[in-house]
Amino acid sequence: MIYFLGKFLHTQFEAFSFLRLVDYITARAIGAALTAILLTLFFTPIFIRFLHRRGFVDQWRNTGTVSSYDKTGTPAMGGVIIIGCILVSCLLWCNLINGYLVSVLTGMVFFGIIGMIDDVAKARRKSGDHGLSEAKKLLLQAGFAAAFTVYLAGPFSPLPADQIGAFYIPFLKAPLYDSVLFYLPVVFLFVIVVGNSVNITDGLDGLAIVPSVFVIGVLGVFGYLLGRIDYARYLNYSYLPGAGELVVFSAAFIGAGIGFLWFNAYPAQVIMGDTGSLAIGGCMAVLSVVLKQEALFLILGGVFVAEAASSQIQDKIGIRWLGRRIFLRAPLHHAMQHKGLAETKVVIRLWITAGILALIALATLKLR
Amino acid sequence: MQDIKRVLLTGGGTAGHVNPALAIGSIFAGAETRFLFVGIRGRVEEDVVPREGIPIKFIRASRYPGRYSPEMARFLVNLLIGSIQSIFILLRFRPDIIVGTGGYVAAPIMIASALLKKLRLSRARIYMHEQNSVPGKLNRLMGRFVHKVFVTFSETLSFFPGRGMLVGYPLRKQISRESREEAIQKIDFKIPEGRKIVLVFGGSQGSRIMNQALVDALGHLLPYRDSLFIIHGVGLFNKKEYHAVRDTEERLRRAYSETQIKDIETFYTYHPFFYDIENVYAVSDLVVARAGSGSLNEISAMGLPALIIPKSNLPGNHQVLNARSMEKAGAVDILYEQIAVENNKLSETVSGKRLAEKLLSLIQNDERLKEMGAISRTFFNQDALVRIEKHIRGETATDNDSDLLLMKSGKGYGLPNNPSLLRRLEREAEKHRHDYRPEMVVPRPQDLEYLKNRAGTLLLHSSWQHRNLGVKLLGLLGAKEKIPAMLALYFERKPVLWVKKLLGGDFEQVGFIRRNILTALVRLDELSPEIEEALLAGVTDPYYEVRAQAAHAVAHFGARLASTQTLLIAVKKLLEDSNIDVTVAAAEALGQIGGEQDALPALLGMWDTRLWKVRAAVLRGILHLVKRGVIGNPEAIEDQATKFILTSTDFRPHFEIKAVYRHLMELIEMEKEKRIAP
Repeated sequence: MIYFLGKFLHTQFEAFSFLRLVDYITARAIGAALTAILLTLFFTPIFIRFLHRRGFVDQWRNTGTVSSYDKTGTPAMGGVIIIGCILVSCLLWCNLINGYLVSVLTGMVFFGIIGMIDDVAKARRKSGDHGLSEAKKLLLQAGFAAAFTVYLAGPFSPLPADQIGAFYIPFLKAPLYDSVLFYLPVVFLFVIVVGNSVNITDGLDGLAIVPSVFVIGVLGVFGYLLGRIDYARYLNYSYLPGAGELVVFSAAFIGAGIGFLWFNAYPAQVIMGDTGSLAIGGCMAVLSVVLKQEALFLILGGVFVAEAASSQIQDKIGIRWLGRRIFLRAPLHHAMQHKGLAETKVVIRLWITAGILALIALATLKLR
Repeated sequence: MQDIKRVLLTGGGTAGHVNPALAIGSIFAGAETRFLFVGIRGRVEEDVVPREGIPIKFIRASRYPGRYSPEMARFLVNLLIGSIQSIFILLRFRPDIIVGTGGYVAAPIMIASALLKKLRLSRARIYMHEQNSVPGKLNRLMGRFVHKVFVTFSETLSFFPGRGMLVGYPLRKQISRESREEAIQKIDFKIPEGRKIVLVFGGSQGSRIMNQALVDALGHLLPYRDSLFIIHGVGLFNKKEYHAVRDTEERLRRAYSETQIKDIETFYTYHPFFYDIENVYAVSDLVVARAGSGSLNEISAMGLPALIIPKSNLPGNHQVLNARSMEKAGAVDILYEQIAVENNKLSETVSGKRLAEKLLSLIQNDERLKEMGAISRTFFNQDALVRIEKHIRGETATDNDSDLLLMKSGKGYGLPNNPSLLRRLEREAEKHRHDYRPEMVVPRPQDLEYLKNRAGTLLLHSSWQHRNLGVKLLGLLGAKEKIPAMLALYFERKPVLWVKKLLGGDFEQVGFIRRNILTALVRLDELSPEIEEALLAGVTDPYYEVRAQAAHAVAHFGARLASTQTLLIAVKKLLEDSNIDVTVAAAEALGQIGGEQDALPALLGMWDTRLWKVRAAVLRGILHLVKRGVIGNPEAIEDQATKFILTSTDFRPHFEIKAVYRHLMELIEMEKEKRIAP
């Protein structure tokens, strides 16, 4: 809104010419980040009390670790605050008719709502194991993924027509494969898998939010560079007009994430719950897809990939099919705890890992 | 209501399906009615149906294999061919009603008639009768195509919502009490006077387990040959894997000498099949049978006391459930199948000795036989045919409501299914870590025995998940008598498919099963040379949880082990294992079985190992050594122990507010109890 108002004022009235500032993405990004961080710092304590009063607290799940027992009673659904603050900040600072931005926000909100239904169901039934069934969750997510692929290939796609079917991998200049028939199914699966990966990662205090901030921050940098014709040319990327708007979103996310970490750091006063983790997964997936960085995500989001893969391999292949454990415990962070690392240590080590991976991902910008 | 002139009956494979079909058919018997029976070649119906004067046609059909396998392809092909054959049969015969009595034989006709009906080429009404309390998958599916499913047990109604109707079991009119003298006249073999007559049969096909048990029992019954006469229905089963009559003859010859067989023949006679079983029933004092609902209903209609050997591992365990409900009423006695190890393979058996003992104890108690017979007579309602006829002729309008009522009241046999039993046992074992007993969950000894048996039969299940469930249950139910069976499972080293191997699988008896067998052995707290052998094998198992669990078991049995030295060497090797769970367990086990010379240096040498959990376990091991008093020179330890790296990467958080809260809650709980006490 500030964007539209500023634009209107400085084009109509000479006196408001200083509002040309809103034309600069970086300026709006800083504004968005500050807004989001202040909003979260202000509203989270109020929201935490609200959650306690309504009984939306984490329910006990038998994961066999001490820490999971002591998390009982921590309010879940902190994700609502993250989503809310990002949305408000984007409403204020973004160009809301930008196709990239709209798809990312839609992904976030849709996945967030799925998570919210799950969280509410868990709180109602007073059990951490009886939320929305896995099949129903997957069905809803598949519905979104299908709609998203159709949108991406359709006439309202934000992508330039020659880029729709291109599948890029890091370190290679040209697309690895350029075919809509191959690319769209990849996108479909990617959205579902990545959408859930944060959910699996979110098990320890602060574990999910910091790597998410790294991932979305790096993707924001990609958005900025790919959205500028000069940088895109220089780095040999194909120019994505309008992608720059994603920087503002990315900044809002970083702001909200840091604000949330204020309360979520060990020992947590609030946890994001499925609402938050699915929403983050959803926007992360869409963001990578619209920036054509699906393959890069394997490196950039390596922590999430490892968490999701270990959990699925352990459960689906090991425990259900082979009749044995493949890893000591799954997902990854529980395996680390099992080996004798304290929760805080596990979390910080995975932050560091995520940071290293983010740097490597940034390096791929020039290493092509 | 049009006249019913053409009746098509189908269902077969065993007499349990054929007889009710014939019984229902008899409702419509009349001068103008034409019948046709559809079955498969080479089964009971080929023999029985023509005897009743009913023409029979054959189609292709094979048993539903239940899981995906090569058998499945054969089943589907046969189903297709059978259905096409059925279409031709139906188009030529043009039946007014079709009655199917389940079994895979009926499926093609049911499918074909449903198809023809859709195409408006047939106006036949289709009925099905389900004899078992838990219908098979095929019958459940067919239940959707028919007008009405008549069921024998009220529990079955829930499988056919909106279409079920409780009628009971349709018995042939011949099954009714005849005088013993007349019956003896009619039977085509000789029965001596003044003896107790026992009829033993395992259904029309015969049962391998029962036949073998009976042959083994004959030796134990020899001393009573003057007061006893056994009529044995061997059964018609005749396939590659088992030929009922031949196998029985061979077993007799192998087990007994010439003179013994002569003696046996004075009180024992066997026949493949009785076409006039009503007469044999009429002369019998006791029946030994399977718990198929056909047999049970016939026994009940004849008012006979019975010893039932229910077949285990059938869908929903229905034979056991049928038998138990009759046993609870006091109408029959039960002899369960046991799992036993034979030629290193697990199988279900009934021992001849147990059968003989049970049989004698019943035969020698006239009072009890009489009482059981009386209860048996009233156990099943015997007006199934009347109800069916009324319904088909349109005389009962609303029968669905009564069905609903029955459904509510007739549910359950009062015992939990296996998974929920496991949950309850686990919860109780968790609560009472030190003084847990299975009786806390299952107080009635008869129930406990039954549940142990039920869990035991799971060990033979084809899916490892069920076998694993069985192992866990046996441990928690305290089934010490099943240890040999578990060990047989444990030592069965059949490798898995290469796909699974590639991903880390090893044997058919998967890692979880082996681990849980060791857990169960610890819980059962028994020791034998075989168990120690299992522990030794466990220590070198390819799967890490088994190695860890074996080390735990070694620590648990400790000094009671006989082969300490071999185990000690094996466990010591585990200290170098790459897996943390294994090294931790091994270090603690060494503390329980080791001594100053063999274990202490190895443990002390691990002062700088990387993971603190291992170092902690090593210190615990040394602690046990000291506590056990096997250390001659404690100062030496003091010297070395000071070197131990004591930094840790983990700690236990202490949340003061939660501690205070817990304390408060405990106090309140105590106060509450105090108030209830006086």
